[in-house]
Amino acid sequence: MNIAVALLAPQGRRRDLPGDLAMWFFIFAELLVFGVLFLAYAFARARNVELFNASQLELDRISGAINTALLITSSYFVVRAVDRIRHGASRACVHWLAAAMACGGAFLVLKLVEFGAKFDAGITMSTNTFFMFYIGLGFFHFMHVVLGMVILGAVALKAWQGGYSAADHTGVETGASYWHMVDLVWIVLFPLVYVLR
Amino acid sequence: MKYQSQAVAKPYFIAAIGLFVGQIVFGLIMGLQYVVGDFLFPAIPFNVARMVHTNLLIVWLLFGFMGAAYYLIPEESERELYSPKLAMLMFWIFLIAGAVTILGYLFVPYAKLAEMTGNDLLATMGREFLEQPLPTKVGIVIVALAMLFNLSMTVLRGRKTAINLVMLLGLWGLAIFFLFSFYNPANLVKDKFYWWWVVHLWVEGVWELIMGAMLAFVLIKVTGVDREVIEKWLYVIIAMALITGLIGMGHHYYWIGTPSYWQWWGSVFSALEPIPFFMMTLFAFNMVNRRRREHPNKAAVLWALGTGVMAFLGAGVWGFLHTLAPVNFYTHGSQITAAHGHMAFYGAYVMVVITMISYTMPLMRGRAANSKTAQVVEMWSFWLMTVAMVFITLFLTAAGTLQIWLQRIAAEPMGFMAAQDQVALFYWMREISGLVFFVGLVLYITSFFIKGKEAPAD
Amino acid sequence: MSSAFTKSAARNIFYGGSVFFFLLLVGLTYDTMHTLPKHDNSANLTESVKRGKHIWETRNCIGCHTLLGEGAYFAPELGNVYVRRGPDFIKAWIKAQPTGAPGRRQMPNFNLSEEQLDDLVSFLKYASEINTSKWPPNIEG
Repeated sequence: MNIAVALLAPQGRRRDLPGDLAMWFFIFAELLVFGVLFLAYAFARARNVELFNASQLELDRISGAINTALLITSSYFVVRAVDRIRHGASRACVHWLAAAMACGGAFLVLKLVEFGAKFDAGITMSTNTFFMFYIGLGFFHFMHVVLGMVILGAVALKAWQGGYSAADHTGVETGASYWHMVDLVWIVLFPLVYVLR
Repeated sequence: MKYQSQAVAKPYFIAAIGLFVGQIVFGLIMGLQYVVGDFLFPAIPFNVARMVHTNLLIVWLLFGFMGAAYYLIPEESERELYSPKLAMLMFWIFLIAGAVTILGYLFVPYAKLAEMTGNDLLATMGREFLEQPLPTKVGIVIVALAMLFNLSMTVLRGRKTAINLVMLLGLWGLAIFFLFSFYNPANLVKDKFYWWWVVHLWVEGVWELIMGAMLAFVLIKVTGVDREVIEKWLYVIIAMALITGLIGMGHHYYWIGTPSYWQWWGSVFSALEPIPFFMMTLFAFNMVNRRRREHPNKAAVLWALGTGVMAFLGAGVWGFLHTLAPVNFYTHGSQITAAHGHMAFYGAYVMVVITMISYTMPLMRGRAANSKTAQVVEMWSFWLMTVAMVFITLFLTAAGTLQIWLQRIAAEPMGFMAAQDQVALFYWMREISGLVFFVGLVLYITSFFIKGKEAPAD
Repeated sequence: MSSAFTKSAARNIFYGGSVFFFLLLVGLTYDTMHTLPKHDNSANLTESVKRGKHIWETRNCIGCHTLLGEGAYFAPELGNVYVRRGPDFIKAWIKAQPTGAPGRRQMPNFNLSEEQLDDLVSFLKYASEINTSKWPPNIEG
């Protein structure tokens, strides 16, 4: 087994999707929506590079970078949580999920501060096309983090009550898959909107 | 038919078909007025004919949905309807209110009708598709609430399945979003904005739940595929429909004075709206291919498959054709919209109601399926109506394309009427297709009266 | 573990997804309502305009015409008719109906008073000043 395969399949190869297929339909739809929105962003930017570059300078990149670190960390915690439940350790799974949700919560707080500053400066979705995307995409993703936390919360609650086991933990994988999607979207969104010039 | 009370669906379906005939007759009148402008003027001006045409469509589809609900909800809930008497009472109220309203449109000048029916107290009339006088609108709400009470009580006391829950949710949504028709602010932009909360959230929102539930019900019956399989796909499809369709409403907010960001939101989400329709096509064909029984009612299976295909073509493909803001800038308010509207309504809602009628009517008349001869005639009517509708759509699309070119793009743009004269040939061909459609409809009705050797009821 | 696909997960996706996107719609609507005064020309929403809208509705004008592109496609767009034709032409045109030209599309005569005609014209003027993101593409509508 070469290194790449070993990295891709730390748990041994599996050909099926983790979690419930229904969630993957949802993830597929969400990624499609975000994908098309990103394309629209690229299209709009290409037609108005100067405006986009000038407006981009007004963004708080530090806050964005911290948020990126927070979400990646939270994803790691979720990976740990799934690993624990595979070994039947419900309590440990809950703790890791709680840590992931704490990161998500911190993300939301930072994001609110960031948006608050923009709204105080009188910036709205109608200011210009760049800020339409910045606020629109940002708010849309913000809602996804909230939904992701609701899902993780529901999973954690069920795990706390002993609803999952080493043999049956599809629910944890389902929730984890959604959370990784939310993280993944941010990892594209952050460089695209905050950094790329 | 497992429960006696399911039979209340029968008068609903008969009324639906009757009003359908009226709708098509007025459609033919309008089609002719497009080319022979003074036809029937001043007895039936175009605006009156159109009001009758569109309102009859809405009312007969509602009759179809209600009939379908009264049939499938007792069967799914495994108990008799809470109150068949209430359902019959509502039938007569709705039929009489509908008939009086249509007669009012035809025989009373609209301004007079508005004055007589309290439009000065609460002005709700004179907006496209919501032309009904205030008492009719209130009547619709009362009938809908009585039906919802009746159906909800049935479901609450019986078995809860994905199909009856989705059907009920769709009907509740239908009633709730209709309430926006009572909100008519003087601010034209707000008026239009919330007008779509009725129109769009009906046809690209809650009606899709109703449609999905009806289709799933018939597919379970005619294919014998496991309920579990059909129900989970039903959930996934309607989830997709609402995920794309709710924000997809933005495609109506491009040019009516709303913020321009709707061009992005509307384009992105409505571009994805064909997905649920495509899934529905695959769903219908897959389930029929995996069938575990040969149902004797071949006509119903044909209608079900037809719904999948035509809904995808009409709502999905023809919708996508002009949904992106840069395209819609040119197509907005042209015959392209009319082309899409015709095929989408026929493919999605007309066909799903007929699917339901086609499946249930023989059962309510005491047999599993109609005779071979009757089914052959019904299938002929399917092909005549469906092919005619395809041609109506193609001719309107051609008319719309030419209209847009002449009136909106050409170096020296033509005025509206000058451009209309140029596309008259397509309007004539549309009218001929309309006549073929009418022949199909007559054949469809004939199929109910054809006797022969019938498959016995189970 | 084999790929799971359960009805309960599908149901949760349906309910969760619908509520989620409905909330997003409510959010966008909230923003729209706040931004609207910049676009909707509501500053010029006079009593005369309101009476004019009432006449527009009670004569079922939308049954033949489009207004900002919505309505029937039997007769010309009227969202920009004020700009295209001007107030006097509009009034004279309405009064002259029906033309009675054989075979041509006919508009009924609504017997509007001079005051009602003025109200209708002020409604059409108000409509023509709504910010429609540059629609229609040209003056012909």
